[in-house]
Amino acid sequence: MNISAKKLATAVSASVALMAAGHATADIKIGIAGPMTGPVAQYGDMQFSGARMAIEQINANGGVMGEDLVAVEVDDVCDPKQAVTVANRLVNEGVQYVIGHLCSSSTQPASDIYEDEGILMITPASTSPEITERGYELVFRTIGLDSMQGPVAGNYIASQKPERVAVVHDKQQYGEGIATAVRDTLKDAGIEVAMFEGITAGDKDFSSLVTKIKQADVDFVYYGGYHPELGLILRQARQTDVTAKFMGPEGVGNKDINTIAGEAAEGLLVTLPPSFDEKAENQELVKAFKDKGEDPSGPFVLPSYTAVQLVAEGIKQADSTDPFDVAAALRANSFETPIGTVQYDKAGDLKSFEFVVYEWHSDGSKTPAQ
Amino acid sequence: MQDLLYFSQQLVNGLTIGSTYALIAIGYTMVYGIIGMINFAHGEIYMIGAYTALIAITGLATLGIAWLPVILLVALICAVIVSSSMGWAVERVAYRPVRGRHRLIPLISAIGMSIFLQNYVHLAQGSRNIGFPALIDGGFRFGAPESFQLSLSYMQITIFITTLVCMTLLSLFISRSRIGRACRAVSQDLGMANLLGIDTNRIISATFVIGASLAAVAGLLLGMYYGSVDPLFGFIAGLKAFTAAVLGGIGSIPGAMLGGLILGVSESMTSGYLSGEYKDVVSFSLLILILLFKPTGLLGKPEVEKI
Repeated sequence: MNISAKKLATAVSASVALMAAGHATADIKIGIAGPMTGPVAQYGDMQFSGARMAIEQINANGGVMGEDLVAVEVDDVCDPKQAVTVANRLVNEGVQYVIGHLCSSSTQPASDIYEDEGILMITPASTSPEITERGYELVFRTIGLDSMQGPVAGNYIASQKPERVAVVHDKQQYGEGIATAVRDTLKDAGIEVAMFEGITAGDKDFSSLVTKIKQADVDFVYYGGYHPELGLILRQARQTDVTAKFMGPEGVGNKDINTIAGEAAEGLLVTLPPSFDEKAENQELVKAFKDKGEDPSGPFVLPSYTAVQLVAEGIKQADSTDPFDVAAALRANSFETPIGTVQYDKAGDLKSFEFVVYEWHSDGSKTPAQ
Repeated sequence: MQDLLYFSQQLVNGLTIGSTYALIAIGYTMVYGIIGMINFAHGEIYMIGAYTALIAITGLATLGIAWLPVILLVALICAVIVSSSMGWAVERVAYRPVRGRHRLIPLISAIGMSIFLQNYVHLAQGSRNIGFPALIDGGFRFGAPESFQLSLSYMQITIFITTLVCMTLLSLFISRSRIGRACRAVSQDLGMANLLGIDTNRIISATFVIGASLAAVAGLLLGMYYGSVDPLFGFIAGLKAFTAAVLGGIGSIPGAMLGGLILGVSESMTSGYLSGEYKDVVSFSLLILILLFKPTGLLGKPEVEKI
């Protein structure tokens, strides 16, 4: 029973400190899961930028139900295996709301975990239709679907009346999904699809593919996938005098495609979400981003901002932090957000979302296509 | 005529990829021939060579130097110096301390080194694809402009010629020079070479350095040809090159060249006539078939068991 005074004092102060620290973590944790590293990290940047701004602004306005939002950021490298690992990590940290993931191939397996564990997930960028086709209650999006984006691209191509079209994809969920949607739209419109081929993401050499495209003598090539591969395909195609017009989904609409493809990126057609940053209602928000030195024109910045905003407003509407209550509140109400009026259907998809066809230029800018 | 041109084009594409695999495969085959070990970090040495070349080219561009031969020469020298030092360092750090132990240990050490180098470049340069300027543009065109044209770019010709020159120089070096003779001696019998007074440690280091220099050359060429570099592309290329080395007979330098070309052409032909999706399936099936009938590869020497 010889407890020295010093040891006793240390023990008491330690437990007081622990109690104080314990009291401070009554914040609401919001998980943000996306690619911080890897080939598509630029899109991850957009996602994190939008979400962080939203958390900052909401906290500055008093937080949610008196509590601050705290971001728990994890990196999934746009890889399904890593996505599952970080999803489990978020579950262990007691996070109840997740903004993520970015790539459809990551969101799909991660959403299984979130639905099992009763965690609300809003993805600001995954467009694959399969994500909301499984009857999950806690899965939402603040972006459109490839089942909408595909036809927009397909109809645009059909309106240009090409003779033959080639459709290429990267064999991943997002790329192959949208390429299939475009191919089906083209077939319905009676346009000849001369080639439907897959390439492996991460490859650098597309000379055989480009030669095949040249041989098939097509006027249009639709590519489903991300910009690292399309940039290389464009570059190698121009080097061998392929004159076809190229088109891609929003996964290629990124300034990095200009560093890879150079001049070859001029005239590339891209379907993107509308430029939310050009809407008059969002100019104050755009200014806030620019003051922080961030670029709000990326296609996923404002959807990501909106996702956090929806979590906050859903909690307020449901008057509870239980994810199921918040999910019900999201379905039952409509919200005014930077991406417009948000209304959800039963599956967790936005009732309306339009994709616009843009023409990409070699300086990284884009203009709406005619 | 169309079909012939198309076939030739795919052949040209295949030979180009094949030459690059061959350049990298030599590193694997030489190291295996000398110390019986697979250097899994070799793909990363190639990637570091490409990054160094890019940094050198960008640096020269900011200095305002625009004369192409100077840019290429400086980039080549920088890439070779950095890659060789890396190769030498990898050998000293990851392989020499564990030489002579159970075979698995250097293997795991190599894989660990590979992961370390990938992530080192990842941290130092970022994980995005960085564009490589196309310094050599244009090429020859054969055939009528209205129908299919065979295009043979200057870059492709550069790659063929460089590979041939490197192979020839290396073969001459191995067969004619003193160090080359020492290399052959060490690869035949390490213990005996030691007893005969050859500094085997120096020879082994020299092998790594030579392999790394060739990988640096490949890095510069492929960076220019493909136009983008990222920290992970060395791993994939290394895997293919290793396959090529095994196909041609690991331990044999002409085997590495042959294996590289066969692999490249088979990939290109599958992609051109079947579908890009089966490219890797066919290449690796070919490897399995050849190994079933000739386990030491096409030009490999069977392991002689001395009683």
